[in-house]
Amino acid sequence: MIARKLGSFLLPLLVWCLVSYLPFIWHPKVQVEAPGGVDYFQSGMLVDREEFAQQAADMRAQGLALPTGVPANPIYLPAPHRVAQALYTAFTTEPEQKDAPWLHESLWQSIQIILWGFLLSSAIGVPLGIVCGTYQGVGRLSEPFIEFFRYLPAPAFGALAVAVLGIYDGPKIAIIVIGTFFQQVLIIANTTRKLEATLIEAARTLGTRGVRLITRVVLPGILPDLYRDQRILLGWAWTYLIVAELIGTSSGITFFITQQARYQHFENVYAAMLIIGVIGFGSDLLLGRLGHALFPWDRTRDRT
Amino acid sequence: MTSRRTPNLMRRWLTQALLPLAAVACSLGAQAAQPLKVGYSDWPGWVAWQVAIDKGWFKEAGVDVKFEWFDYSASMDAFAAGKIDAVTMTNGDALVTGAGGAKSVMIVLTDYSNGNDMIVAKPGIKTLADLKGKKVAVEQGLVEHLLLLNGLKKAGLKESDVTLVNAKTNEMPQVLTAKDVSAVGAWQPVSGEAMKAVPGSRPIYTSADEPGLIYDGVAVNPASAKARRADWIKLVKVWDKVVAYIEDPKTQPDAVKIMAARSGITPAEYLPLLKGTKLLSLSAGSKVYVKGEGFSSLYGSTKIVDAFNVSNAVYKAPQNIDSYLDPSFTNAK
Repeated sequence: MIARKLGSFLLPLLVWCLVSYLPFIWHPKVQVEAPGGVDYFQSGMLVDREEFAQQAADMRAQGLALPTGVPANPIYLPAPHRVAQALYTAFTTEPEQKDAPWLHESLWQSIQIILWGFLLSSAIGVPLGIVCGTYQGVGRLSEPFIEFFRYLPAPAFGALAVAVLGIYDGPKIAIIVIGTFFQQVLIIANTTRKLEATLIEAARTLGTRGVRLITRVVLPGILPDLYRDQRILLGWAWTYLIVAELIGTSSGITFFITQQARYQHFENVYAAMLIIGVIGFGSDLLLGRLGHALFPWDRTRDRT
Repeated sequence: MTSRRTPNLMRRWLTQALLPLAAVACSLGAQAAQPLKVGYSDWPGWVAWQVAIDKGWFKEAGVDVKFEWFDYSASMDAFAAGKIDAVTMTNGDALVTGAGGAKSVMIVLTDYSNGNDMIVAKPGIKTLADLKGKKVAVEQGLVEHLLLLNGLKKAGLKESDVTLVNAKTNEMPQVLTAKDVSAVGAWQPVSGEAMKAVPGSRPIYTSADEPGLIYDGVAVNPASAKARRADWIKLVKVWDKVVAYIEDPKTQPDAVKIMAARSGITPAEYLPLLKGTKLLSLSAGSKVYVKGEGFSSLYGSTKIVDAFNVSNAVYKAPQNIDSYLDPSFTNAK
């Protein structure tokens, strides 16, 4: 199972390795080693292959020293080993700046933002979704507005969130909530509606009403599906992390990514993206396992 | 540390709900208990404050101040929302932010751009005059647009002699690689990356050709500037120490190390960025802080930016420049 999952990573990794290590596949640039007689070349500079050939031909015609260089990929495509190196050094080097957070501390900060955002959103979104799905009247009343609101892009609320909630974690959490909540209500309402109507009818015939209907009949009926929805929604919350953390003071993993991208240190950017991917994917695997243990009667799991 | 933040959040919401009440009850003395909050961002003249932060010079000077690190535009948003007392910005952006409602007074100049802002042209284009009839990319309404107009005028050209392409400053390295674009305007480190992206391209006009086109400083919420005047003066005094520490060849390596760490790059990468910035000590600042025409005066420079902003419809009505500039903090004995 795990082996099959890891297997699907091999193909992209293989392509990346081939493009990075076999110069004849792509390598449209030349990295200058010695500038020779070319006035503007510097050691380490990346130039187009044609430009390099042109300059070399010019130097030969003028009888000056020839530039030397090796084929290279553009700066935005670092080789896997450089990303691996960046990943290692990012975790092991003490931050240069006094009392700046270590990378794992920045990560923990980001994870907290996600968790708080997701918890707040779930605290209202899950009950509301279930109620909307169970009682048609409530659903009709609230869902059109939620449908409308879910199209509003969460990042657009950035400046507003800062004005209301300050410059620290408040507005960041708010963006995660705005990005997750409205989808959550609709998805969970839908899941609730899929519960067999006969179950609810039978319960009502037997006199179950109100809170008891939800806690005794609806909730146990949808729990495995609800759990699966929440797993998907947690992944959804992660995708809002970067826009959320750009708001207010710079913090978390986003600060690392944007700052390194500004100076075109792309190996660090890829390393940080990898970390996010690993955390997200890893936690989802764990939650999936947990789901199997919690809901052994869930028949749909055989298909996943 | 952060796990305690969310209860804080609740407290902050509560505080805000009670703010109107508190404002009535609050005296000046109670306000003074709060540290001054300054937003700063990634520009050498502002990263320089990091030296004072790391060295503990504010505490020595007896001023309670908290610097918060932002993305530049996020810092102006936070200032506009009234969440911080001061922000580091250019004189032009102070006008733009003020026109939107968040007035400020610039109490100290940190620097002027001295080469960091540039028009980078492809190989073969040697002067601005060569740009006639060509496409030039700038972010409309921002400082590089102003820099280009200023240069074109000197070269005897009009804005209509070139075709402007509006693009985001951060994307200029990629824009310059486009076949039909001949030049782009950007500041460091983006302009440096643009030159790396198109080998042989070079700056044909920079802010060093027109010193004082872009001034940078600390802009303070006018209410805070009035209420906490003594504290702000103390903060301004620290600036002199920062400039001296960065410019002294003996201490410069240490200063550059601190600044590079804040920006997340190596000191060797940082040094050229610092060189493109002319830091202004308080005495140099007060020479600029006099009324006059042209770029050697902060007033003259700000007036030119104001006219530029109005003619580019960044905002509608000209701003009252005098209200944005207050030399008394810099000149305070």
